[in-house]
Amino acid sequence: MSWVPRSLRWRLQLWYAAWLAVVLAAFSSTAYSLVRHNRWRHVDEEIERRFAALTAVLRPAVPGRPPFRPGRPDVPRPGPPKPYSPRDTHEPPPNPDGRPPPEAGAHLRGPHVEAPPNWLPTAALDALELSLFKTRRTESAFYYVLFGPGGNILRSSPDAPAVNPPPTSDHFRDQVRQLDRRREHVRRLWAGFTLAVGKFVDADLTELERLRWVLAAAASGVWLLGVVGGAWLTGRMIRPVERIVSTAQQIASGDLSARVPVTEAESELGRLAVTLNTTFDRLCETLARQVRFTADASHELRTPVAVLLSQTESILARERTAEDYREALEACRRAARRLRHLVESLLVLARLDAGAKTVERRAVDLDRVVADALELLRPLAQERRLQWELDLRPAKCLGDPEQLFHVAVNLIDNAVHYNRPGGSVRVRTYETQTHTILEVEDTGIGIAQEDLPHIFERFYRADKSRARADGRAGLGLAIVDTIVRAHGGTIEVHSVPNEGSRFTVRFLRAETSAASEDPAVANPELVEHGCNTTLGADNESNGRQSANRK
Amino acid sequence: MRVLVVEDEPDLLASIARALRDEGYAVDTAADGEDGLFKAESWEYDAIVLDLMLPAVDGWEILRRLRHANKTVPVLILTARDAVADRVRGLDSGADDYLTKPFDLAELLARIRALVRRHVGHARSTIEIGDMVLDLRARTVTRGGRVIPLTPREYALVEYLALHRGKVVSRTELYDHLFGEDDDTLSNLLDVHVSNIRKKLGHDAIQTRRGHGYLME
Repeated sequence: MSWVPRSLRWRLQLWYAAWLAVVLAAFSSTAYSLVRHNRWRHVDEEIERRFAALTAVLRPAVPGRPPFRPGRPDVPRPGPPKPYSPRDTHEPPPNPDGRPPPEAGAHLRGPHVEAPPNWLPTAALDALELSLFKTRRTESAFYYVLFGPGGNILRSSPDAPAVNPPPTSDHFRDQVRQLDRRREHVRRLWAGFTLAVGKFVDADLTELERLRWVLAAAASGVWLLGVVGGAWLTGRMIRPVERIVSTAQQIASGDLSARVPVTEAESELGRLAVTLNTTFDRLCETLARQVRFTADASHELRTPVAVLLSQTESILARERTAEDYREALEACRRAARRLRHLVESLLVLARLDAGAKTVERRAVDLDRVVADALELLRPLAQERRLQWELDLRPAKCLGDPEQLFHVAVNLIDNAVHYNRPGGSVRVRTYETQTHTILEVEDTGIGIAQEDLPHIFERFYRADKSRARADGRAGLGLAIVDTIVRAHGGTIEVHSVPNEGSRFTVRFLRAETSAASEDPAVANPELVEHGCNTTLGADNESNGRQSANRK
Repeated sequence: MRVLVVEDEPDLLASIARALRDEGYAVDTAADGEDGLFKAESWEYDAIVLDLMLPAVDGWEILRRLRHANKTVPVLILTARDAVADRVRGLDSGADDYLTKPFDLAELLARIRALVRRHVGHARSTIEIGDMVLDLRARTVTRGGRVIPLTPREYALVEYLALHRGKVVSRTELYDHLFGEDDDTLSNLLDVHVSNIRKKLGHDAIQTRRGHGYLME
């Protein structure tokens, strides 16, 4: 249907106009046919009245009057005298020429019977014509014609038109004819006599035609008003949609800050606009985070690449000693290792981001996982002459053992890394009634208050130089945070600068979470929404700070 | 020419310093902002290569303090920050050039050459003094169409005097600009170099103003 316009507004308008036209047409034609019907009924009644008056006058006079048979339409009723027929009851006059009246039924096949006009009640008819059939056609244009049994005209009103003779069939009884400009009732009376009473209906036709015009004009007017009003209304209704469209186009063309102006938040389109704005906000946020992350990632990747490039280029510029080559290669190895670490961390994060909502959940012995992590990091700790202080009690939780291993390794690695030589790393796992808890505490440099709210952000590093020299990209805690949140857990940090930090990770206990199926656990989305970072309230004396995340 | 490199990534610092030394520059290094600022304020450098993300004092601050102290030394910012806003901010803060990591050493060296050259008012990369021609790019000196073989230190001396042509350059200035902090500088080393250059280029190449310094005309 290519002719249907694409625009919703015009389509709506088109259907509306079509429907309105149909309704108006139906209404007008119904009104018209009702009026016309009434008009014809009225005309018919007028004709019938005259017909009755005529038959009342004629009945006594016409020869061959059949006996009265009730219920027959062709027999005039003998009822009370009609006001138009003063001579209703009088006896039919005797045949003036003595001839017997024509026998009933014989007129059809026999020779034409010339009804002698002298038996007609001329005077009565004249009176009747005067009162009911005025000759002035403009006022009351009634006429009658009386046909004899042979179809010959016996009498007619003065200005009667040329009325077609009635059909001569035996069965003919009654007919209402609508001719060009007149309407007439033709009825067989008796003994072959037929009376036609009619009316010139010019006036009625003119009036009906006028009515048609009036109705058409009125309907057109109403239709036009309706369409214009409809256009205005649909325009008004569609305006918010257009605003939404233009906003969406703005956003599509790159202006990410554009938002749909919301005027009526309660209406359907208002709610749509609010919903869209919220969606846009969240998309923008995600996009901004993604952009920042990409920028940070590329920023982090640049430095080791710069090292690789400048080291190789400068060392290859001329012949060097073996010592120089070794130094350059070692520098390259450090850069490459840093790249590897970065790429691995980025991969872990990317996988976590991609699959954050589908965490594998099976019963995990957290204490075992932590023990494995400790085993992995033992050489590093020995290198720094750190003491393990372990208290690993059985602790079960639900989750992905590999990801939980990442959590343990990153936390313990941080504790080792930021410790002072000869310090200690305290690791505890235990269960409370509802939770499974992992605590990692160090005796290191601690975290400054201004850094606390940011330490879980990707690429955030409290001390940028140290972190970079050590080849740390600032992704470890971000990975920990992402995993813990995906598991529906919480992470909390207490830190005192130059004394140490304590990270506490809480998961729901395996039995508890399996039994109650806490919604926050079942749906990491909820957890993410509820996430917040709070600065410690216990700031009272020693500048002790804490940050926690749900 | 004496160049200061401020960069907190030790391997990168080492390779840049090595490349610059290979080119005959006297190179000082600083691994953090504090050290970098101290050196930049203490010595007259011919160029400074500056990283922005530095511990202690960041590159912006160093730049601001230097320009505030009316130091006109050319500064090349070498950073991983590649956003246009950062470049604009860097150049507007008084930096003379901006290069993002990772970079090509050849480009870094060319940019430093250009900075040094322009700082003393030379747009071209050759200097002609009589029939002597210095090619700053190839680091060669030709006299009468013949290439004169010079050691890097000798070339650096000739280049410095040629760039400051017509001006008397004091011995202290020459020491400051030709020898880095790690070089062993004997007091008569400069005289040895000048004497060697005169042997190769001819006695009239460098004039001595007793009590003032050296001069090339």
